[in-house]
This record gives sequence, C-alpha cells and structure tokens, in this order.
Amino acid sequence: MNTQSARKRRMRQNLTAYSFIAPNFLGFAIFTLGPIILAFIMAFMEWDGSNPMKFVGLSNFTNLFHNERFMAALVNTVNYSLFTVPLTLVAALGLAVLLNQQIKGRTFFRTVTFFPYVASLVAVAAVWNMLFTPAKGGLMNQLLMNVFHAAPLKWAASPDTVMMTIVLFSIWKNMGYYMVIYLAGLQGISGDLYEAAALDGANSIQKFWYVTLPQLKPTTFFVIIMLTISCFKIYDIVYMLAGGSNGVVNKSAMVLVYYIYEEAFRNWKLGSASAAALVLFAIVLVVTLIQFRGEKNYAND
Amino acid sequence: MSSKSTNRMIHNIIIYFLLILLAIIMLVPFVWMISSSLKMNKDIFVIPYEWITKEPKWRNYIDIWTKIPLGRYAMNTVKLTVVVTFLQILTSSFAAYAFAKLQFRGRNALFLAYIATIAVPWQVYMVPQFLFMRKLGLADTHLAIIILQAFSAFGVFLMRQFYEGIPDSLCEAARIDGMSEYGIYAHIMLPLSKPALSTLFIFTFVNTWNDFLGPLIYLTTDTKKTLQIGIKMFISQYSAEYGLIMAASVISLIPVLIVFMSLQKYFVAGITTGAVKG
Amino acid sequence: MKKRLISMLACLALTAVSVMGCAEAAAPSAPAAEPAADEAAAPAEEAAPAAEEAAAPAEGDAITLKWALWDKDTTVYYQPLIDAYQAAHPNVTIEMVDLGSTDYSTVLGTQLSGSGSDFDVVTIKDVPGYVTLVNKGAIEPLDDLIAQDGIDLSKYSGVTDQVTMDGKLYELPFRSDIWVLFYNKDVFDKAGVDYPTNDMTWDEYDALARKITDTTPGSEVYGAHYHTWRSTIQLDGILDGKHTIVDGTYDFTKPYYDMVLAQQKDGVCMDYATLKTQGLHYSAAFAQGNIGMLNMGSWFIATLIKGIQDGEYNVQNWGMVKYPHAEGVEPGSTLSTITGLAIPTTAPNKDAAWDFVKFVSTEEGAAVMAGTGNIPAMTNAEIVDIIAQMDGFPADSKEALITSHTYLEMPANEKSSEIETVLNEQHDNIMNEISTVDEAIAAMNEGVQAILAQ
Repeated sequence: MNTQSARKRRMRQNLTAYSFIAPNFLGFAIFTLGPIILAFIMAFMEWDGSNPMKFVGLSNFTNLFHNERFMAALVNTVNYSLFTVPLTLVAALGLAVLLNQQIKGRTFFRTVTFFPYVASLVAVAAVWNMLFTPAKGGLMNQLLMNVFHAAPLKWAASPDTVMMTIVLFSIWKNMGYYMVIYLAGLQGISGDLYEAAALDGANSIQKFWYVTLPQLKPTTFFVIIMLTISCFKIYDIVYMLAGGSNGVVNKSAMVLVYYIYEEAFRNWKLGSASAAALVLFAIVLVVTLIQFRGEKNYAND
Repeated sequence: MSSKSTNRMIHNIIIYFLLILLAIIMLVPFVWMISSSLKMNKDIFVIPYEWITKEPKWRNYIDIWTKIPLGRYAMNTVKLTVVVTFLQILTSSFAAYAFAKLQFRGRNALFLAYIATIAVPWQVYMVPQFLFMRKLGLADTHLAIIILQAFSAFGVFLMRQFYEGIPDSLCEAARIDGMSEYGIYAHIMLPLSKPALSTLFIFTFVNTWNDFLGPLIYLTTDTKKTLQIGIKMFISQYSAEYGLIMAASVISLIPVLIVFMSLQKYFVAGITTGAVKG
Repeated sequence: MKKRLISMLACLALTAVSVMGCAEAAAPSAPAAEPAADEAAAPAEEAAPAAEEAAAPAEGDAITLKWALWDKDTTVYYQPLIDAYQAAHPNVTIEMVDLGSTDYSTVLGTQLSGSGSDFDVVTIKDVPGYVTLVNKGAIEPLDDLIAQDGIDLSKYSGVTDQVTMDGKLYELPFRSDIWVLFYNKDVFDKAGVDYPTNDMTWDEYDALARKITDTTPGSEVYGAHYHTWRSTIQLDGILDGKHTIVDGTYDFTKPYYDMVLAQQKDGVCMDYATLKTQGLHYSAAFAQGNIGMLNMGSWFIATLIKGIQDGEYNVQNWGMVKYPHAEGVEPGSTLSTITGLAIPTTAPNKDAAWDFVKFVSTEEGAAVMAGTGNIPAMTNAEIVDIIAQMDGFPADSKEALITSHTYLEMPANEKSSEIETVLNEQHDNIMNEISTVDEAIAAMNEGVQAILAQ
C-alpha cells in the first residue's frame, strides 16, 4: 500500500518533469537529434546525398586515420583547444570581475568588450590581418623589431606561427562572449557570503578564491564545456585568417570542421565527413564526462 | 587615512588605464567598419590604411537600400529573430527547470544527450535534416528556420546551469507551502533568473540575427531572404563591394547593440540576496 | 529509464531512416521514369514535324521553369536572355532562383540531393561543381537531345570535349571566358617602354615586366601582378598543349614558378603572403594604377570598364593582349572557363527545360550574350566584333580575344575537387616559400597520383 503510493508519487513526479521538458525536447528530438543519429549511421556508409547508401563498415574510419590532412586537422584542433580554452576562460573571468565593479562607464566598457564577438567577421579579420600582416611594416612586426629587437614574424602566412595567430585572434574575439556569461553568473552570488567572509577578515583576493570561484562552479562548468565544444568546432576563423584571398587552407592550419566541410561539400563524401564528426564528438564527449563527474562532486558537497 | 585614499586613487588609475586600453583594442574593428563603409571599393584593403578618408562616400549608405531589397530582408530577419528568441527563452527555461530542480528517471542521460548534440557540427547533419524538412514541405519557409533555431540544446544547458546556482531551499520552502512546480517556476525561478534570461536573450538574438548558412540553404525565394544573405549579395562572382558590405554591416549591428545595452542592466548584483533573505 | 531512452532514440532513428529511405527509393525510380518522359516527348514532336522547331513546346499550357543561378541582380544577361526567350514562347515563364555566388555549389548540391528538387534548369558554375552533380546522378546526359536537334558541338571550340565524362555530356556551355594579359598604358608611357604585343614569349614578358618596375619605396611600380589563385602561375604550363592539369606529373610547372618567385624576390610583383592575408582583390590592385600587367580572365573587362566610368579607378588608358606563350607555340593559346546549363534528373518540365537550354546556349542566346558585352560559349569573329563595340572597350585590343587553342582551367575528372585540393596546397607552399619548387612538385606528383590510383 505504502510502496504503491510511493510509486504513484514518483510517477507523478516523473510526469511533471517530462511536461517541463516536452516542449523543447520534442522540437529538439525530431529536428536535431533525429538527423544527428542518422548522421552517425552515415559514418558507416558511403553516401553522396543522392545515390543509394552503401554499408562500408569501418572503412571510413580507417581511411581517416591514414589521411594526412585529417591527422593534421586532428592535431591542430587539439593543440588549438589546449591553448584557447584556458586562456579565454581566464581572460573572460578577469574581465567579468573587473566590469562587475562599480565603475563609471560600465555599460560602455561592457558593450565594447562584447563588440568583437558581434562585429562582422570580415571586419574583425581585416583589422587583425592589417595589424598582424606578414610584411615588415605591420604594427606587430614593427613592435617586435623595435621594442623587442626580435625578428619579424610571418604570422598567418607561416606554418610555424599560423595556429598561434589563430589562438590569439579567437581569444580576442570571444572573450567578451564568455565574459557575459560570467557576468550573469556573478549576479547569482549571494551578498551574504561576501559579508560573512569580510567578517572573517578575508581580503579581496581571499574573497575571490573562497567565495567567488566556488560559487561560480556551475557557470565555469558551462563555460568550459561550451568553450571546448566551440574550439573543436572552429571553422570560419581559420577560413578568414589562414584562407586569405584564395581560400586555400594549408595542412598547417587545417582543423576538423574545415576537413568535414571539404569532405561533405567539395567531395560529397558524406559518410567520411560523418566519421570525422564522430571522432570530434567522441573527444568532446570524454571532456564533457570528466567535467560532468567533477560537477556532480560539487553538487554533493 | 590619506595614504589609503592615495592607494585608492592609484588603484583607480590603473583600472581605468586598463579599461581604456581594452576599449581601444576592442573598438578598432568597429572604427574600421565605419571607416571602410565610407570608402571606395578599391581603397579598403590597401596598406597603409587610411583611417579617415578624404572624400567620404556617404552614397554607400543609400546604395545598400536600392541595390538590393535590404529593407525587406531586414524585416524578415526581425521577424525570425523575434519569434526564435521568444520560443527559445520560453521552452529552454521551462525544460531547464526540470533538469536543475526536479528528480526524474533518465535525467542525467537525457541531459547528456542534450549537451552532446551541441558538439556535432551542423555541416554533417545538414543534408539529412534538409531532406527531412523538405519531405515535410518546409523547404523555403521561415518556419523551417524557426524550428531549427528555437529548440536548441544550448539554451537548456545555459539556463540549467544558472538554476543550479539558485539554492534548492527556496523551492523546498515553496513546495511545503503547497505551491505547484509550475508555480515555483513562474513565481520564483523566472524572476530570479533575469541575468540568465538576459544572457540567453542576447545570445539567441545575436545568433539568429547573424545566422547565414541556415537561411542560405533553406530560403530560396527572394522575398523570404534575410539580412545576412543580403549582405553577402554584395560579394558577387567577379567583384566584392566591400564598401557596401561594411555599410550594411554597420546598419545590421545597431539592433544587436541596442539589445545588448538595454539588457545588460540586468547584470546587477543583489537580486538573489534579497530573495534569500526574504 | 535508460532502456526507454534507448528505445526512444532508436525509434527516432528509424523514423529518420525511413524518411531517408523514401528519398532513396525515389531516386532509382527517377531514371526509370526518364525513358517514359522521353517517349512521351517523342510523339509530341512527331505530331508537329512541320511546325517550327521552337514552336513545339509552345503548344502546351502555361509552363513555369525554375532556373537556379547566382548574382541575379548584378548579372547583366539573365533578364535579356529570358526576355528574348519569352518573346518567342509566350506560354513559358522563367523564374530565377538566386542561390548566392559564394556558396553556390554547396547550396545547389544540397538542393539537388534526394529527389525533392523542383528546379528545371541549373547553371553550372565550375567544373568541380559539375563533376559533383554528374557523380551524384543529379543531372541528365544531354547527348541524345543534342543529336536529335542537330547541335554542332564543334562551334564550342573544343571545350565540350573537356567536360565530357565517360562519353557523355551533361551540360551545354553558354558563357565562356578566356584569359588575357591586361596592361596599364599609362605605366608603360611613363616608363617610355613599348606596349606588350600579341606575340610574346614568356621570356619576353618577364623582361618587359622587369623593365617597367620601379622599386623606390613609396612610389613602387609593379611590372606584373599575380592574383593568389593557382591558375595565374601553375596553369601557364599547360598552354603548350603537352600536359593537362590532371596528369599526375607536374614538372612542367617549374619554369613558371621559378620566373614568378624571382619576380617576387626582386619586387617586380607584390609578395604573395601579404596579398593573401591582406585579402586585396585583383581589381582593387589594378585600380591603384601602379601595376603594369595583370593576367586575368576576360570577365574583368566589364568590371574594369565600369570602374573607370564611375571614376573609381586610378587607371585611364588600358589595353589587352594575348597571353604570352612558350617558345615554339602558336600565340593565342590560353586558359578558359565556361558557365553552362544543365537539366536536373528531377526536373518537372524536362522538355521545356531543354528547349530553353538549347536557346540560351546556341546562336540566338549567343547573340544576346554578346549584346551585353559577355563572351558566349558559341563564339566567332562576328561575336568578337559585337563585344569590341562596347562603350569603353579599347579599340586596339580586339585581337586579344581571338584564340587558337583554349584549355579549361580544370577539365572534368571524377577526382577534380580532390586533385584541386592537392594542387592548391602546394601552390601555397611554393609561393609562401615554405617548400622549394622541387619539393612541392614532388608532393604534387605523389599526392595526385595517389588520388588517381584510388
């Protein structure tokens, strides 16, 4: 009798929860999840979008790992993410804390920081290319030569520095975006906690370490995962910076989604493109699961 | 006392110095956009760059409206953006409440499925998705774009993370008072999540506003096209009218900035503080 | 719950697969329907043998043809072509669908995937895009129709052979562009050097470029300009007719790379790396007025004339000559690109579509094209005369448009787009001086041979 009513209650609980999820989930499942699952099936097929699909087993994957361009893309993407994720995170958090203070012109500075994210990519890339031009007369090269007495760099035009240039560019372009998320996260921290910390004699650095950072954990979880995903999905920035006026992206700047795009829409090998996407997906999933476990521990604290 | 105020002044000077430096670094592209939008095509990518052109070509700001039906495209974009943003905020915050504050079977698995799909590049499932939409008769409709954009996993994830930060004790108290879950969502969570809702609003707005590839694939009829497709029309096979592109880009940026500036006022501390105390 | 979730996902996948299944099931049936359509068409034409050829489709009810293209508003010949056709066929309406220029091939490929497309006529922008559609089985072979209507393919000066795949032709070109050498007369006058001629070897060209170059900082004059495309240098090597760009061996490109690299080093032309990152369009570069010679396609004529008329360009007097040639090769050999029309296998009105394609790509359409200042694919001396009468066309440059041999920038090959990827990458390596010419050529040989062996 008791167990039955408990079960009934649990069922009602489940139903309530599902009713919350349903409006979004139905749209999401039918129009996004469905095609995605299909894309994963495609990874084991050969398909050009028109002729009948052909099952080819794992050969799409074995071909990928023998393909120099794909391997280069994989290595470049991982390297790029390893640098971009932590650096952007720190920059965004720093900006958010800075712009959360009571300062004059706060709205202006916040808007300005968000700017490179919303400005047209053509404009942002053009400005960047002007400052980081491989010619000796460029601003950054002048700075290198006259202030640091170093040799000028070819930036995006050299295989040694192209990824570094892309990393710098994307930090600059995207930190405002993640700053906005952190700004919103900072508003959720209860002022009581700071008051209590102040009573304990904490200075502002201690407050940051022992109040702000732990309280921002759900936000940081979100930022890390979104950053990782967007780093692994980097595509148009590479095209703008490394592709230049002829759109030729060399192996040294090849990234996963660019490779996927080429396979899908230049060569129309949708199966092979899906296989590459599955590899990308697997990497991101591992990162997400590790983060997810970390978050659960936090929730239990 | 006086040394303390000197310290404070030094502190302020450093902060403002950093901020102004930051503003300059961040504003360069905008200045470049405006300056280029007043130039002749051939002069835009020439180095050394002329920041203030001698003969500003104001005509560019007239030509963009007459060379292509940009007004029509802007209206379409406004319509799509408003509908998508509204649906996205409504359904995401609703679903996120369940993920953050309710216990139910399959919660973690379902949530993980949501996040994981964000990691799949659209380029891979674009073709099957398009064929499916066309089967449903949705090719070349605004509805297709709305459906694609409005039910994204991103919004659910974002809102869920912010709800996580709101103490469970608030919900528990309301439940004991006999409030239904829907009531808690509407009367407690929503008012508390203004910063998060503003964030989601801004991001969805920006994304839909700037979306290019989706409308390009789906919308083929002239009268249905969007602003971003219109801007790309100035790049033709044999020439690219960068002056016009930049003029149109400057115009297209204005609504985004207005939205950002009017919503960022919700990023103010102390909202939850009061609620917890109360 | 986990189980339920999995079964739910499986259900979804099944629905999705079944939808795709429909798409596939319909695809094989399309070729089956095709002979039926042809049969249906045949009696119709037999029924009216006496009537004018053009009148055949006109007897039907009102028909709307959907035509996929790009740059609808900025291309000058679409509307005149449509007007001319509709004047003769009042029951036919032609609806232009603009898929955008930059991503045209991607969008068209997506639209023609599956079997739900309702395009009747599609424009073919480039050879890799053409090959894609042929491989996908998305466009119809036109050979039977061409034979049936007696179209003389020799009037297309050989380009149709270069886009024939497995003995079948799937597009009919209507526009053709050839590469010529543009030059700025003012630069030559100022340097007191004679203008380039229609009969120059590459060595003579190189010497001429060096003669007019001025490397004084601040007032540089560049003798030559090469846009960052691979075509501007690599393809100079195929003009002797001994090699093609899909051969698998590329040693013949070496002299041309050596020449341009030396020019780049000596400041005769702008630096590739800077040009590439800066994103400077060739028209903007030439418009500065300090470039002597520019090798570029004839599409640039219209842009240049307009730029000068609008007063935007620092160029007053310009001319064109034939492409330079290798020692012992007849002048007038040059590169070309074509724009063609094709009929999707899913086209709702194939007969009417063919009639329109035929109109645009043969004599009648050619006259309309020439009237708008564009070179039609079916070209001859008369057509060149019409084009040369265009306002702003330099009087002494007509000769440059007359060719002896034309070679497509990329002939149709099943692997066109993959080969192109390899060639582009190595071109970039050479010009950025990441690899030596020999290393890059070895890499091209190896890479392309591997693709061809697949």
